[in-house]
Amino acid sequence: MSTDREREIIRAFVSIANSMAEGADVVDLLSGLTSDCARLLDIASAGLLLADGHGTLHVLAASSERTRDLEIFQLQRDEGPCLDCFHSGQQVSVNDLSQETDRWPQFVAAATAAGFAAVHALPMRLRGTTLGALNLFGDTTGALAADDLDLAQALAHVASIALVTDKAASDKETINQQLQTALTSRIAIEQAKGVLAQLGSLDMDQAFAVLRRYARDHNAPLSEVAQQMVSRKLAAQQLLDHSRDKVAVREKAR
Amino acid sequence: MDSIAELRASLGRAMDNGDPSMSTADRLCHACVDLLDVDGAAISLMLEGSSQGTFGSSDELSRQLEEFEFTFGEGPCMDAVRDGPVFAANIGDAAETRWPALVGSALGLGVGALFSLPINLANSYVGTLGLYRHAPGPLLGNSLVGGLMAAELAALPLLDMISAEAKLATAGQDWPAWNQLASLARVEVYQATGMVMAQLGVGPAEALARLRAHAFAQGLTASQVAWSIVERELSLEADNERTDPGGRHA
Repeated sequence: MSTDREREIIRAFVSIANSMAEGADVVDLLSGLTSDCARLLDIASAGLLLADGHGTLHVLAASSERTRDLEIFQLQRDEGPCLDCFHSGQQVSVNDLSQETDRWPQFVAAATAAGFAAVHALPMRLRGTTLGALNLFGDTTGALAADDLDLAQALAHVASIALVTDKAASDKETINQQLQTALTSRIAIEQAKGVLAQLGSLDMDQAFAVLRRYARDHNAPLSEVAQQMVSRKLAAQQLLDHSRDKVAVREKAR
Repeated sequence: MDSIAELRASLGRAMDNGDPSMSTADRLCHACVDLLDVDGAAISLMLEGSSQGTFGSSDELSRQLEEFEFTFGEGPCMDAVRDGPVFAANIGDAAETRWPALVGSALGLGVGALFSLPINLANSYVGTLGLYRHAPGPLLGNSLVGGLMAAELAALPLLDMISAEAKLATAGQDWPAWNQLASLARVEVYQATGMVMAQLGVGPAEALARLRAHAFAQGLTASQVAWSIVERELSLEADNERTDPGGRHA
């Protein structure tokens, strides 16, 4: 492991620890964590899938906010390594997706069409319960190094801990409630992205950046800003203006 | 665990292939009485914090209770759309000081316990499943879980209420209720709902209702319509279909 990479890994964990200590918004924190995965590991895309009370998997955070990318994660509601990983509580590693068309016909077709060649799913476990899975996609075939898998699994554990922040949450009901809150805030974030995309003629990645910038600059949780926007207590135009002003200031400084 | 799965399936079945002479909302309310420890159930649409009317019920007394809320301007359903589930296990107890006018009338009709579960549509509370029981006592175990599941299912008839076109269209209506709900819980549907909100200047529930109505009218799935919207091949701005929000004041 090069020292540069080592330093980057340390930085990622420090940043996660700080965010947790500050009580940062969970979707925001976990979006950052998936971006860390994509950067630190030899993979193209990372996503976190969380199960709801009925055992259905939902995308909670991803390294890319593009709808098509989120869709590939979401597809595993019906079949795929994440679903298998969630049910078994064990890692599922597929080094060559093209070998698995019989196992997951729909998923493999879609993932291949999106340019992915390998996939890994790591369980998010907490005190004996599997909450969901961390999903990694590679655009070339081949195994992940054992060190990398360990690192990814550690990040998956961190994600579980970040999700269930309540120390007293040992009973299933409280845990479920916290997970449901996280999933619900994701819905508002997707809706808010849609509003911003429409009003500002943005793609979903840009819309997410606008949302995130406003939240950070106002020291407000991402999901709360999204919720206020979709309930029309906060004007979407205000977020777009804020983002535009920021860009203008930066251009001027140049 | 198994009995919860059975309960979930039973509630779904009541919506899918119950008595065809009843509306799906009525069937769901009757299923609540059959399966849960309650004596009556009613589904109400609540927009902008006030009752817009009752759209399904198991009996006359349930409708009457919802009517009281409308008359007195207070009650568990109005609280539930604002704050989440309301459980008033013993309205005859002196410690129960919420809604004095409503409680007086409800006690007069022999009601002992009132519960109200908010109905979530596109991540906003737009209605309630109101439950009552003659005998006081909390809503426990499977009755509580089943009530929450019924409130999830009640989103479907409410969607139809909000957008009248969906009621007229038949495509997709024979889909099992739980599958219909799952088909709406998708990334592209959430994003498209946001885009429609901006296109039409409406709230999330109405935007989702319009999206679904469009899907039904075209014989498409909600996901297909959502993809067209997200990829900007379709805009509902061009849709001149009028919504008739069913008794909603102008």
